Amino acid sequence: MRGRVSVATCTVLLLFAAILSAHHSPSAIFDMGKRISVTGTLTKIDWINPHIVIAMEAKGDAGKVDHWTFESNPPSWYRSVGLGRADFAKALGQTVTVEGVRAKDGTFYGYMQKIKLPDGTSLELINSAEPK
Amino acid sequence: MRKVLFGVFSCVILFHGIAHAQHPDLSGVWTYAIDRAPAALKKEVNRTVTVHSIDQSARHGDATAVRGVLPSTPKPSYKPAYQARVKELSDHESKLDPVFYCGKPGVPRIGPPRKIVQLRNETIFFYEDISGDPYRIIPTDGRPHRANANPSHYGDSVGKWEGNVFVVEVRNFVEDTWIGEDGYLHSPDMRVIERLWKDGETLVWQATVEDPAVLTTPWVMPPRVIKPSTEPLEESPKCVETDGSKLLNNDHHGQR
Repeated sequence: MRGRVSVATCTVLLLFAAILSAHHSPSAIFDMGKRISVTGTLTKIDWINPHIVIAMEAKGDAGKVDHWTFESNPPSWYRSVGLGRADFAKALGQTVTVEGVRAKDGTFYGYMQKIKLPDGTSLELINSAEPK
Repeated sequence: MRKVLFGVFSCVILFHGIAHAQHPDLSGVWTYAIDRAPAALKKEVNRTVTVHSIDQSARHGDATAVRGVLPSTPKPSYKPAYQARVKELSDHESKLDPVFYCGKPGVPRIGPPRKIVQLRNETIFFYEDISGDPYRIIPTDGRPHRANANPSHYGDSVGKWEGNVFVVEVRNFVEDTWIGEDGYLHSPDMRVIERLWKDGETLVWQATVEDPAVLTTPWVMPPRVIKPSTEPLEESPKCVETDGSKLLNNDHHGQR
């Protein structure tokens, strides 16, 4: 069992390491072995280098509001795959679900791997080697 | 007399035209040749899935068999006195690499240009980079390097043609750039020779770093073979570092 967990963890880690933007070492910032999912209201989009950044408000423990920030690949990368700020901005003020990895420092900070928009559109970063 | 002057003038125009036309035209827009996230985008709308991939061939393709390529090495060779410093920088790359904090990559790290405009007496290189969108105006009229130019990240360039190869000599650099990942430092006396030529429809770029103060031998960098691009240049958004303060260890990454 321990072997299975170890292999699964390594697989996740390698996959995310390959996908995340070539910037700081992702494993130096994020818990690469644990994928999280956050549902909340999209409040802000910063279309900036070296990573685009989105902000969300999500329900936390005891009814309090958690203010999440997710970074993702650079603007030029999103442009090359046919997406711009407007593709995300249309969801401002609405409910979205973001999947990714969380910062090791325990803050509400993560790397966005996937986002599901209110109209049902799903945008996900995948390994280039994965079958189309 | 007027006929003679007209004839001479026509010959001058014709001569310049022929001279200009003798060289291959490198003008055009070229694909990104820097390291980018090797990810694809999977988009799903109403159960219809499409996948958009990134073309990384210019950075990771095997160009060793391309015509005109010089034998290269993946890493520069440093003198013993600098090896410990390079290792120290490399070991702390994530925290120390200037480009991780929106710094300018400089020449040669920025790689080949995204767009080239080749004119009669100068050639202009345009780039897109997270640190901004630099350009370089490279005189090709035989003038020497500027005598009083300030040191800069992209240096002072002059260009000339050697057969079908456009050769750019760059010097007068600031010291605060790396010439590649893994802490590759350089001295202010570094000289970079960029060579660009066409191979069919593709553009080939290869640089050599000459820095006898710190290197045991000139570093001939691996070439990059770049395809024409239909993706126009666009102003890069501002660069604001957001996650550097969250680095908890020195895990190595590397880019470019």
